[in-house]
Amino acid sequence: MSTVELKLSRSNRIYRPSELLQGKIIIKSSSSISHYGIHLTVNGSANLQVRGGSAGVIESLYGVIKPIKIVKKSIEIRASGKIGSGTTEIPFAVTLRQPGEDNLERCYETFHGANISIQYMATVDIMRGYLHKSLSATVEFIVETDKADCLEQPVSPEMVIFYITQDTQRHPLLPELKSGGFKVTGKVSTQCSLLSPISGELTVEASAVPIRSIDIHLLRVESILSGEKIVTETSLIQTTQIADGDVCRNMTLPIYVILPRLLTCPTVLAGPFSIEFKISIVITFQSELSKLHTKSDPTTPRLWLAMETLPLELVRTN
Amino acid sequence: MEFRPRNYIAEEESHALPRSRVHDHPLFTSCPPANHLQVDFVDHENHDFIDPLRAPATNEVVSIEGVQDGESSFTVPSKAATEAFVKEWTSFKRFLMQKFPVSKMVSISSMSDVIIKTSNANLKSSTSKHLEELDDPEKFAEEDVKVITGQEYVSRLHELKDEIKHAWSAGDRVTSLKLSIKVARLLMDTSVLQFYPTLFVLATEVMDMLGDMVWERIKKKAEFAEDGTRLCSLSENFKAHNICFDAKETCYNWFCKVGSTRELLPRIYLELAILPCWRFLVDRPEESLQRLVLMSRGLADPLASSFCRLYMAHCAQKLPSCDIGHLITSVNDVKILLMRILSTKEITHGKSMNNRGLLVSLMEPTIEYTMKCIFKDASQRQVGSVLVELGLGRNQVELFADNPCVSVVLHHLLKELPSEVVSSNAVELLRLIECSSDKSYDQCLNYRLLGFRLCERRPKLDIVNTVADRIIQVVTLHDKLGDFLKIVDPYVDIFLQNQMDNHLNTILEGVSERACSKEIVEDDVVVLHSILKKLLSHFKDLEYVFALNHFLEILDVMYGSSRSIIDMQILNMATRNGHINNPTTIELLFEVCHSLHDGIDFANVKDDDYQQPARLISHFVLMVDYGAEIEQHLTFLVECRGAFGSINELKETLVHSSNRLATKALKDGRKHLSFVKSCIAFSEVTIPSISAQIRQLNLYLESAEVALLAGLISHSDGLVDSAISCMQSVDLINGPLAQVDVDALVTSIQKLCSLLVMVPGNPELGVTYALKSILSLINSQSWITSRMKIKIFCAIISLSATLSQNKLPYNADLEILSNDLFYGDSSYVQELVSLSEHVLWNLVEVIEQEPSRAARGGMALEACNCIASSFKINNDIQPVCSKLIETAKSSLSPNDKYLQSTIKFLELQQPFDFTNQLRS
Repeated sequence: MSTVELKLSRSNRIYRPSELLQGKIIIKSSSSISHYGIHLTVNGSANLQVRGGSAGVIESLYGVIKPIKIVKKSIEIRASGKIGSGTTEIPFAVTLRQPGEDNLERCYETFHGANISIQYMATVDIMRGYLHKSLSATVEFIVETDKADCLEQPVSPEMVIFYITQDTQRHPLLPELKSGGFKVTGKVSTQCSLLSPISGELTVEASAVPIRSIDIHLLRVESILSGEKIVTETSLIQTTQIADGDVCRNMTLPIYVILPRLLTCPTVLAGPFSIEFKISIVITFQSELSKLHTKSDPTTPRLWLAMETLPLELVRTN
Repeated sequence: MEFRPRNYIAEEESHALPRSRVHDHPLFTSCPPANHLQVDFVDHENHDFIDPLRAPATNEVVSIEGVQDGESSFTVPSKAATEAFVKEWTSFKRFLMQKFPVSKMVSISSMSDVIIKTSNANLKSSTSKHLEELDDPEKFAEEDVKVITGQEYVSRLHELKDEIKHAWSAGDRVTSLKLSIKVARLLMDTSVLQFYPTLFVLATEVMDMLGDMVWERIKKKAEFAEDGTRLCSLSENFKAHNICFDAKETCYNWFCKVGSTRELLPRIYLELAILPCWRFLVDRPEESLQRLVLMSRGLADPLASSFCRLYMAHCAQKLPSCDIGHLITSVNDVKILLMRILSTKEITHGKSMNNRGLLVSLMEPTIEYTMKCIFKDASQRQVGSVLVELGLGRNQVELFADNPCVSVVLHHLLKELPSEVVSSNAVELLRLIECSSDKSYDQCLNYRLLGFRLCERRPKLDIVNTVADRIIQVVTLHDKLGDFLKIVDPYVDIFLQNQMDNHLNTILEGVSERACSKEIVEDDVVVLHSILKKLLSHFKDLEYVFALNHFLEILDVMYGSSRSIIDMQILNMATRNGHINNPTTIELLFEVCHSLHDGIDFANVKDDDYQQPARLISHFVLMVDYGAEIEQHLTFLVECRGAFGSINELKETLVHSSNRLATKALKDGRKHLSFVKSCIAFSEVTIPSISAQIRQLNLYLESAEVALLAGLISHSDGLVDSAISCMQSVDLINGPLAQVDVDALVTSIQKLCSLLVMVPGNPELGVTYALKSILSLINSQSWITSRMKIKIFCAIISLSATLSQNKLPYNADLEILSNDLFYGDSSYVQELVSLSEHVLWNLVEVIEQEPSRAARGGMALEACNCIASSFKINNDIQPVCSKLIETAKSSLSPNDKYLQSTIKFLELQQPFDFTNQLRS
């Protein structure tokens, strides 16, 4: 039995494009193996896919759009030869991107979305001729923007002030909400470093109908250029409750949302696709009706909900 | 046989030790030698070891400097402080669980699936569920609750804790976290009300456990590389820059994971659980607390919110610096929540108004704990700013008196404020209490607490006066006795200390107005007890207390054990300072005794339970002294006998008292003879009702002595007779007599014999009548052992020998003739000799029959000594003595001291040839 394993030098597997991707190939074998060369391949691509949502039937038939190559490299680590029995460790180091080679796409940050996925993989292959199955192992590593390309600290503490009242809602509301009225005000940051939480505050100034919950939804907006159309899909990444129950009026509640890793990346506006984010403040009022719809999508406007959605620009900072 | 003639006066002189005057007290050692010793000792000590209490003072200085250096920016809780905090928290948790015990059934909402999963809750069968749903879908949606027993709930939580621990040790930290979130989520369901504190304790134990595990894991990452080599060792007060990148990454990841929890409440709890881990990332971890406390404002449910803040106060103490800002925000927010609860008229949060009291009482411990944390190490200056921030202070030194506060918050604030702040702001605090009269706490208890706090540290006189006047005004408005007493209780101390007699009178009057007309409840009796106790311990003089207005009335409305305790305290006080002379006082105390006596349920208590009251009553009777009014005193004794007849101990006291009374009367010569007779008659009548014969015997002897002193020979004869006959009825129901009782009896009989020296022989019954009675008693009673017989026989022989002397060693009174009367009457001496001879043979016989060798030897020597000192050693006696010595020699070692001294004694007493015989 022989196995091969790829182990990266960093336990969090985060590398920057200008850095060396380092690690070691670990081969464990009960007997010695002869091979025709050990190769390491680094592959980075943006995979786009249009499905459901606003895409039409035809587009969804085509489904996968050709991936956009970001990086592809293959190097020979060892020429053909023999590997002794037991555990063999072969260290390696690969430059992800030479300063000169600018022909390819930008090195986007790793991102796993619903329709867009930007992924970087390292694969090792040990070729063993026709008689033996070749050994291989793959590991994903995470790419973050180079420090040099990052925005200078600090992110401007830009806050947007919001008002949520019965009159700011574009969807129908329960009659008692409409007549009784409510007012929730606050402010929230609209540009935010990936390393710091989304911050802000919120105050329930008035509400005739008791509040059941106030939640902050973090949304991602993925857009793909498909043919001549832009297909956009908005999906929910994370919900953070900031008020549970009918909170006291005129008490300031903090908004504090830690951004989930991998599910977020700096806002990207590339040619063929874009990744943007939004936050949505949703107030749920106590209502008998809501109990019958417990499983519904929380972002859908309902009679007992009031909401305010704001754009959120995410940036990478040092 | 012939009695040896004795000259008692000469013998006494020859046996007395020579006396000489000394200059120094033998127990008072002079100084110089002792000093020498001590110096040597100290020197020795210094070389050998260091006494920790006398360690060089330099050490102390160093440690103080160290503290000052470290304190400038950062204080790490010392190990001792941490332990104290852990201990405190543990006992607080126990208190919570005890205060709110697990109720039988707990209904839980459907979201607590983690609990339901494995426990067999009463799930409705799917068909019936379906039917119900059809019936009324809305109703079903609302009442989707399940019921399980509290015990099941608790055991399920314990299981969960174990599962989390196991998952963690198996490396499955994700599962650990997921389960922990589920546990935290349980705390969202506050419909369990009474069960919530228990739930909180169990759930936070899980949180703390998770927090510790995460802390250890990250610390390990920071200290050790992946391959196990040690990178560094973190000191207690490490900084974020000491932490390696990997450890920081892991730590940040934990905060991300926790932060992604959707619901607010579990998110706060989990972040609190791993709060100390902020130290790996930032140098000022306490800043997160300020955010967390604001986040908890989002919890609208007052119960969930206040317990969450409690956990926050607990977790904050794990951080090195103790910033109390967040605690103050917390208290202020809870205040708003409480005001909301108290002001709401209709049903809120699904809880009816009936639950409002329960809700406040559930929240109270959380307020209590937070307040404790705030004032734990607060300096006076800090206290000032705390008060300002709590909205109660106008500035550092001045309080807003007219800003009402929620009374339950005020209560715990009052409890924790430093006593000097309380005493200097007493007037303002009083005003604050007055205007904070909501339903969250009994206002009376706040007045009461203020009183207690003021007792700790006495305020300035003008403040005391203002407070006292104000309290009197306040209290007179309370018509219920309970409220009145609650408020007044602590202030009684203050009034007493400051001699505010008019206030004291007002209070006593107030109590009597409210109490004396109707039945009073047990709780009030307890408070009343406390007040009376204070009065009693404050005044030294009982008569002054009795003279207080209404004191006696108030005493009369009390009942039960409180009454008995007060009665006892009064009696204790009364008998503490010597004799009681005032007839009015005696009268009142007699009534007190009466009530105490009535309070004892003789049928149902063990001896121990009423010993104390019985002793006090007896002591009182003993201390009563009517002075010259001896007749009145005797009347008093008679009354006592009638009233407290069931106390044995007391009857003894009565006999002693009447005997003492008789002796006192005798001092004035013989003019009170008839009174003395009454006293003796009283004793004679009282003694038989005492149950123990030994006591009876002694009392008879005592009374006989008194009678003899008074020259009442026929009385004393009668009493001696009774003494002997009472021995005939010694009670053997409880098995054979104990050794103590046997010894006591022998001593009493010996005493009787020595008394008989003074009693003139009765010519009608024969001079040896009493002796014969004793002898017949000895031979007839089965409980008399051979050892007793020897002693009594010896006593009789000695008595007979004494009675035969020309001059008796002592007399009762010069006026009364003893048996000197018979001196020279040969028949009298003959009678004594023949009696002695008879006794002598009995004695020898008893010794011979004694089975135990060792006992036999001792007896023989005792008898021998007695015989040798009573009789002339002649041919009749000599063989007896030799025989006894032989018996002793055969059973004792020849070196026995008693044997040797007895032989020596015999040598001195007799002719030479006999001595040779003994030596052989």
